[in-house]
Formats: sequence, structure tokens, C-alpha cells
Amino acid sequence: MDYDFNFAAVWRDFDLLLSGLGLGILLALISIAIGCLIGLLAAFGMLSKRRAIRWISLSYVSAIRNTPILILILFTFFALPQLGIRLGKIESFIVTLSVYAGAYLTEVFRAGLVALPKGLREAGLTIGLTEFRTKLLITIPVMLRNVLPSLSNNFISLFKDTSLAAAIAVPELTFYARKINVETFRVIETWLVASLMYVVTCYVIAAVLRQVETRLAIPR
Amino acid sequence: MEILQTLEAIWLARTAILDGLWNTIQISFLSILLGTILGIIVGLILTYGNRAARFAIRIYSDFLRGTPVFVLILACFYILSVVGLDLTAFQAGVFALTLFCSSHVGEIVRGALQAIPKGQTEAAKSIGLTFSKTFFSVLLPQALRQILPTWVNTATEIVKASTLLSIIGVVELLLAVQQIISRTYLSLELYFFAGFVFFIINFAIEKAGRYVERKVAIPT
Amino acid sequence: MLKNLKTAGLAALFVGSAVGAAHADKLQDVLDRGYLIAGSGSTNAPWHFKDENNELVGFDIDMLRLIAKGLFDDPTKVEFVNQSGDARIPNLATDKVDVTCQFMTVTPGRAQQVEFTIPYYREGVGLMLLDGGDYADYEALKAGGSDVTVSVLQNVYAEDMVHAALPEANVDQYESVDLMYQALNSGRADAAATDQSSLSWFMAQNPDRYKDAGFGWNPQSYSCAVKPGDQRWLNFVNSVLHEAMTGVDFNTYAASYQQWFGSELSPPQIGFPVEFK
Repeated sequence: MDYDFNFAAVWRDFDLLLSGLGLGILLALISIAIGCLIGLLAAFGMLSKRRAIRWISLSYVSAIRNTPILILILFTFFALPQLGIRLGKIESFIVTLSVYAGAYLTEVFRAGLVALPKGLREAGLTIGLTEFRTKLLITIPVMLRNVLPSLSNNFISLFKDTSLAAAIAVPELTFYARKINVETFRVIETWLVASLMYVVTCYVIAAVLRQVETRLAIPR
Repeated sequence: MEILQTLEAIWLARTAILDGLWNTIQISFLSILLGTILGIIVGLILTYGNRAARFAIRIYSDFLRGTPVFVLILACFYILSVVGLDLTAFQAGVFALTLFCSSHVGEIVRGALQAIPKGQTEAAKSIGLTFSKTFFSVLLPQALRQILPTWVNTATEIVKASTLLSIIGVVELLLAVQQIISRTYLSLELYFFAGFVFFIINFAIEKAGRYVERKVAIPT
Repeated sequence: MLKNLKTAGLAALFVGSAVGAAHADKLQDVLDRGYLIAGSGSTNAPWHFKDENNELVGFDIDMLRLIAKGLFDDPTKVEFVNQSGDARIPNLATDKVDVTCQFMTVTPGRAQQVEFTIPYYREGVGLMLLDGGDYADYEALKAGGSDVTVSVLQNVYAEDMVHAALPEANVDQYESVDLMYQALNSGRADAAATDQSSLSWFMAQNPDRYKDAGFGWNPQSYSCAVKPGDQRWLNFVNSVLHEAMTGVDFNTYAASYQQWFGSELSPPQIGFPVEFK
């Protein structure tokens, strides 16, 4: 192998890579927050007594989970404007990633809800709470604490999916890495640094979330 | 009218679309096959390897799982050619997806093998079975059942990730469709079409997986 | 031990230079191989795109075919390598392609990574109007001041780019070329501003519906590129392009220009060579 390592070019633009990494984390955070709302709605939809609502939730989950996210990103950004829905790059990406996250979280929440003991809801109703308040104050908080590990996993894969925002020129880490790659042709250095930044960030996120999980877990 | 125009555009470009689809199938099939073989080895080392081997493979697996698959594809495409491996974009892309697949299959295999109670290995040993005999006739059949659902998930992930090869210039289904869009400007209709085809492929894989799962389930 | 290392080093050097020598003559390599390996894209009309018959066509493709014709007297002796925009330089550096023609803008930064040929097109930004619309030409648009809305492709520099030509105009940014043109058709924009080549191609496809405002700015040169360090190969590609624009292959170049940009070129003046005027 005939290659002289020279990281200078990558360090020169390291602040760009860092800012890209920050944007990626932010995009993942916003998307998982919106995705949780969508996921909750769709999860209750899946468990609804009305067939039509069950069918809509199921179709949403099945359609989104079986479609490549790159196509969803391109569709939202390039095709939806034809229907009069025009969003900026970042907004468009957040919408896509939220809808994508929502489909995966629906499954997580549905399983979480099914696993809850029946007594929980009955207890809420007996102490005089309405059906809605029982869900809001009892069922959902308990379920959320139970599914925390799955939420963490989903958050980490969403963070990795933010790399695809580069396809519509959102200036996140992969976007800058491609830019540095093309401008300097320091191929190995660029991709080594970029993937290490992803790997380390994933490790850190996982460690932080594990702390949060142990704090919030329901003591048994 | 619009629908007719779209169908006409698709019909006119049918050879291009079928060529793209064929590439998508080849990429996915090769990556899943090679990735699964490599992944089983990874899983075996993670479970039964000595300390040094386990440590090395743990780094391999964590690095690959912490890196977004898009970054992995770009890195393989650019880095391999610099170190003198003369691969086409197709080969570099399949290589990246194979690595990605192997790390996920490795974890699945490890999880499944570790979930089998230790007592079984001991029982097998006490009736005089060698390790390979124990592995193939006691552990593997049980592990396979547990692996199947997650493995099917990984397979659909690979099919979806194959669209990312469009960005390094492999004319798979998505790029074939983008080539038609650049001529006809039918972005809404054709991106929808591409998404739909992927949905069908993955939906079929999912259903086939469920069918096999039911067939091989241990009757209770 | 040290001696062994030295010998190994010398051997490596020797092998290295031998390999280097074998690869120094790209022109001979390509001739021996019998076909040209050419890099370009496949999703940008009129430069490089797939036509109805799934054939790769466009102005870049015609330039590459001219090079093949120069080499083998047969424009079909080309193997096209489909590459994305950001693979243009890496694919040259790693010898995946012999030459790249892919609407590549010449910049000093890129010229440090690859060697550019002479330019074969001067790109710039132009303005397209509806034929018979409210504004007749560039002067009318300029006089329209802030009443004028211009549709443009989404870009960080889009606003500045339009304002360089029309300081007071409103700028409406769109995500893709087709949406930009739709804005003009529907009257949401009075003019569309984008690459002159895209406008020319679109007007050639839709005759009598649009017209050019007659003003171009933001010049940039499109050149083919080769891997640095092989002067003979660079000279050869340069000669092909040069003679396509001024010499024996002018008719082929002009026909291609007419096909993709919709306008006729007048032949180079006979007599004293135009390039030294």
C-alpha cells in the first residue's frame, strides 16, 4: 500500500465536521420527539376497536417500514412540492425522519401497551379518572418507562440515519466529509475520522441513555 | 391523464427499470448471502472465541454498527481504490453492505447462542458428543429458530440500504428511476413508483419469513 | 537486518518505478486496450442522460465519443463509467477512468487535483421568459425593479446570483428544475434563472413557448479532465477538443451543439487561426 497519511487537511476543517455532527444530533432529537407523538397515536390506533383505524395505522407502519428511507427523503423534498407542499431542506428532512421514526416507534409502543397489566387501566378508572386521563397519567408514563431500552436503540439508529440528509445537501457530518473528500482527496483520513466520530458519538449516546434508563427504570 | 402519462413513461423505460431491478436483486442477494456467512463466523467467535479473538471481533462489530451504512458505502468506495483494490462501484457497494450485514447477523447469532441454557451443552458433553456434534445437532437448530425473525428484518434492511448504491453511481432501481425523472420530470409519480416496488419486495420477504417461521416453530 | 531493509527498499523503489513507467503512457495503454474508459454521469440533460431508448446521450457524451473517434476512428469504442459528481476526481486519481467529461467547472482548487483540458463550453447563468409575457427582455426585467419575481434553483448563493443581474428582483427558490419551470408557466415567476445550457435545452424541447432574455452572467468553463502527470495524453485530448471546435471535426461538434443547445454555430474563419486573433 502506497499511501502517505496526512491528517492536516481533515483537521483544518474539523470545526465543520463538528458542526455537522451537532446538527445531526439535533435533527435526531427533534425527529424522535415528533416520532414519539406519531408513534403513540398510531400505537393506540393499532389497538383501536374500530377496524378502519386499525387498518390505517397498520398500513402506515407497513408502508414506511418497507420503503427505503432514501426514497422517502427524496420524495418529500423533490416530489411533494408538486402537490403544493414546499419545505426547506432541513424541515423536509425532519418531517421525513419523524414519519420514519414514528413507524418504528409504533411497534415499540404497541408492544409496550399490550404488555401492561390490565389492572393498571382499571385502577385509574376506579379512582375516578376519565379514559383519556388514565392514558395520559398512568398507562403512557408506565409504558414509556418500560420501553426505554428500545427507545434508546431507536434514537441511535435515527442518529445514524441523519447521515442521509447529505443526499439533499443538509450540511451535517457526512455532507462535510464528502466535501472534504472531494476537495482534498485525503480519502482514508476523511472517512476514518468521520466514521470514528459517528462510532464514538453512538457510544456516548448509548452510555448516557443507559444512565437515564437506570434512573428512570421502574424499581422491581 | 397524469396517470396514463406516468404509466406510458414507465412502459417506455421498462428495460431500464428491469435492468435496475435486476441489479437491486443481485446486490441484495449477494450482500445478504455473503454477509450471513461472514456474520455466522463473527457470531461464533463472539460466543466461543478466546479473549483476544473476542476483543478484536467486538471492535470490528461495534465499529461497523456505529457507522451509518451510507458512510460505510462511501468509505469502501473511495478507500478501497486508493489502497489498490480495483473494485467497480458495484463490487465496492456489495462489499460495504456485506460488512454491514455481517456485523448485524453476528450480533443476532451471538444473542441466540447465548440464550440457550448452558445445561444443554453440559448434557450433550456428558452423553459424549463432541463440540461440533453438539453445535450442529443441539445448539444450531434451536438458535436458527430464534434467529429467523431478526434475520428477515436484517434482510429487508439490506434491500432498503441497496438504494444507497445509487449515490456511488450503481444503476440499481432508484438510479434507473432517477435517470427517467431527469428526462421526463415526473418526479412525484416516479419516486412513488420506486418506493412502491421496494415496498412490494420487502413485504414479500416479510410474509415469506413469517410463513417459514410458522412452519419450523416447535409445536407447543 | 538494516542491509536487508535497504535491499527491500531498493527493490520496492525499482518495482515502483517500473510500474510507474508502465503507466506513464496512457495514450499507448488506451490504444493497446482497444477502447476508451470514460467517466460521466447519467442524470443531467443535456449533458449526460439516458434517452428513451436507454442510451447514454448528451453533449458530454458526444465529446467523449469524439475522443474515441480520434483514437480508433470509431466513436462507439467507449466504455462509460457512471459516476456521481463527487466521484469525478477520485475516479481519475485511482485510474478507474482514462478521462472524465461531466460538466466539470474549472477551478484553481480542482486544477491542483486533476489536469484540465481546454474548455469545450462556457457555462453561465441565463434568464428565460415566457414568449409574449409581461417582460420582453433583460432591459424590461431590470426596469421592472421589485415587481419582478425570478424563480431559481435552491442554493446558498441563489439570492446573490440573481441580484448580481437584477438587483431589485424578488427571488423564489425551488427544489428542482421542473418546479422552477412550472413557476414560470403558472405565472408565479416572471423569469427563470439557471444554467444557460439547461435553458437552451429546455427551449429547444419546447419551441415557441419561451425565449431567452439575452443576458448571461457568472461565467464558468467546462473542461474534460485527466489524471495529472501524463502530458502526452493531455495533449492528445486537447488536440481532439481543439480540432472539434476549430478544425476537422467542427461539423461533428456543431451538429452536437445544435442538437443539445438548439442554436447554430458559424464555422471558424478560414485563414489566420482564430485562436491567435
